[in-house]
Formats: sequence, C-alpha cells, structure tokens
Amino acid sequence: MSSSVESRRANSGSRRSNGPDMRRVVYRETHSSRAVVSVVAAVLVLVLAGYGVLESGVHAVGQPAWLIEPQVAAQRIVDLPAGIPPLLLAAIGGVLAMLGLVFLLNGILPGKRARHLLAGAPGEGLPAVVVDDEVVASSIARRARLAANVTPDQVMVVVSQRQVLVNVRPTSGVPVDADRVLGAVRDELDQMLLEPAPVPRVNVTPTGVIGA
Amino acid sequence: MNSTPALLNRILLTVLGLILLGTGLLLVLLATVPPVGSWWHSWSGGAWESVSRLFDSTRFPGRPESWLWIVVALALLALMGLMVAWIAQQGKGRSNLLAAEYDPGEIPGDVRIGGGVAEQALRQALEGRPDLAGATVTTYDVKGSPALKVRLLPRQGVAPHLLAAEVSGLLDALEAVVGKEIPVLIHIGAGARTRFSRAERVR
Repeated sequence: MSSSVESRRANSGSRRSNGPDMRRVVYRETHSSRAVVSVVAAVLVLVLAGYGVLESGVHAVGQPAWLIEPQVAAQRIVDLPAGIPPLLLAAIGGVLAMLGLVFLLNGILPGKRARHLLAGAPGEGLPAVVVDDEVVASSIARRARLAANVTPDQVMVVVSQRQVLVNVRPTSGVPVDADRVLGAVRDELDQMLLEPAPVPRVNVTPTGVIGA
Repeated sequence: MNSTPALLNRILLTVLGLILLGTGLLLVLLATVPPVGSWWHSWSGGAWESVSRLFDSTRFPGRPESWLWIVVALALLALMGLMVAWIAQQGKGRSNLLAAEYDPGEIPGDVRIGGGVAEQALRQALEGRPDLAGATVTTYDVKGSPALKVRLLPRQGVAPHLLAAEVSGLLDALEAVVGKEIPVLIHIGAGARTRFSRAERVR
C-alpha cells in the first residue's frame, strides 16, 4: 500500500511489490497448463515400464515369460520389415508418430489462452486482473450496440490477441455511423487498458436487417 | 497460480514426443523404403549382438540367467517411481492459510487466519450482485506465501474494468480486516452459466 502510483504502474498491474512474483502468476493464468497431457504421458510410461518390470523380473528368476520372451522380442525387432505385414507396420508407426507429435507440440507451442491482462483504470491500483476475451467481447458489443442504436443481435464482436473486430448489421433504412461506433469501442478499450492492446476495427455490412 | 512444474512438463513432454515421433517415423520408413530396411538390419543386428554378449557375460555362476535382468527391473521400477512423482506434482498449491504472524501482544503464540475467512467474506459480499452469475474465491500457496484467486463470472455485457475496480475495493476492505497485504489475482471469466443466462440490462 505504501508504494507510489508510478511503481504500481511499472509493476504491470500488480500493486504489491512484496510477496510472490505476480508476473509469473499472470503468465500462468494466460497460458494453458500441460497438467492433463503430462499425466497422460506419465501414465503411458508407467504402463510400459510396469510391463517391462514384470517381464524382466520373471526372466531374472528363471520363470517362463508372461507374454513374450525378451530375447525373442528383440530378435523380431531386429529383423523387422520381415515377419509382419508392411501395412500393419506402417499403421503402427503412423499412430506412434501422431502420438509423439501431439506430445511434442504440447511441449513446444506457447499455448496462449484467449485471455487478456487488464491494467484497469489508471491510478486506482488494481490487483492483477485477467479477463477472458469473451467477457471483453460482450462488453464491447454492448457499447457498440448503444453507439450504433441497434439490437444486440445485430452486433457481433470478435476479440483476438491483437485485434478487435466489430461487425454491425444496420437496420434497413437507418444508416450507422461507423466512426461513432469506432469511437465508442476505442473509448471502452482505452478504459480497459488491455495488455496486449488490441486494435479495434469496425465493419458495417452493406446489407441491412429488415424490421429490427 | 498453482505450483504445477510448467517447465518440467514442457521438457518431459518434448523428450517423450521426440522419442515417440522418431520411433513411429522409423517404423513407417521400415515398412515403405527398402534401403532403410537393410540399414536397420546391419545396425540393429550389431547392437543386439553386443547387448546379448553383455547378457551372456553377466550370468549368475551356474545358472543360465543374467543378473542384468534384475538391474533392468530395478531401473524400470525407479522410472515408475519418477513418473508417479511427476504426476503428484500436477496441480498442487491449494492452501488453507491466509496469514500466519507472530503476535507481539501479551498472550503467547501466533495468529493464524484461515483461507476460509477471505473465501466466506468475499462470497458473502459478492452474492447479491445482479451483474454476477457466480463467484469463487480460493486460497493458494504461491512459493510459500499465501495468495487469493477470485474468479468472477459476470453476465453478458458487464464492463470488466468497472467490475474489477469494485471488487478491488472489497479486497482493500478485506486487507484492512486481516491487517496484511495479500497478493490477489482476479480472473473475470465466461462459462456456460454466463453464456445462457439473461444479459444484464440496467446498471
């Protein structure tokens, strides 16, 4: 509470300079977690390793193998293109490669969620606020609807990471001032101070709606 | 907000993905390209030769089995243990403690305030609002210090910055009561409940 307004702003929306790293927390909140995929991968490895333990343990004490003798399995793998229909082999390979690709992409891609950081009204020292793009879109749609003086059905807003697209279908015979709508949307976005800041675009369709 | 090991997840997933992708591509190439088959024969044949020689040289005296199998089994067991530990790390971090301080007063002991205080108080304060379809408050333990996560589900058309400012006022009041600064994350989200409920008309 004792920190000045300037240092609060520098803290990217978080007013507390002590305590945990809010930037990390916000990063966690705006990027998707890999917990589910990780658990799936770990269970997969667990099952394979469990089978391996069983087979090698059985072999170590000199008992007959459960499913297949390890030496026999290795020999089959060594002379692989033979002994199995090539179509089946290719199919198994394809499935394995797909699974690997899913895991690999999950590990590498940034995994951004459709969320924005809200820097809030200036000077008010908000805590860290993360907003779903859907909420931003519905708020902007309300503002654009009031500025264009149309019904809610005639406005559609798409919010993406760097762009806000407002589609307005005017009522037939009643022209819509696109600049006014754009001004209203811009005003709303300026109040929100989204991070990263999206650029608004207004698109008034040439065809109108009858009887709205 | 929770202490899921994000970097570890990424690294392990990438490694596993590369292994699976490599194996799968090798199998596809074996099935489709004949020269790869002959290369695989010579390479894997040699490798298997040396491995089986290793197994032969590590036999128990007087018995046909190699003690290397026990080593393999133990290594796989260790791998299983690591995997279980990895799973156990996911999604941890919920806590029950909002503040724990030494009390310098006359009565000996510490003061501990449970997370339920903040959760109940905020839920009570947010309950009657017409612009909210729901709100949940959870206490987390972020690297040893408590933090609050407030998840708000506003109805359609509610301006998120105004909502955030009002909830921020409530949080200030809560801090005044608890007597400690608590890091807060407000998540204003959308869900099925907000999507299919009526829009808020008057504000």
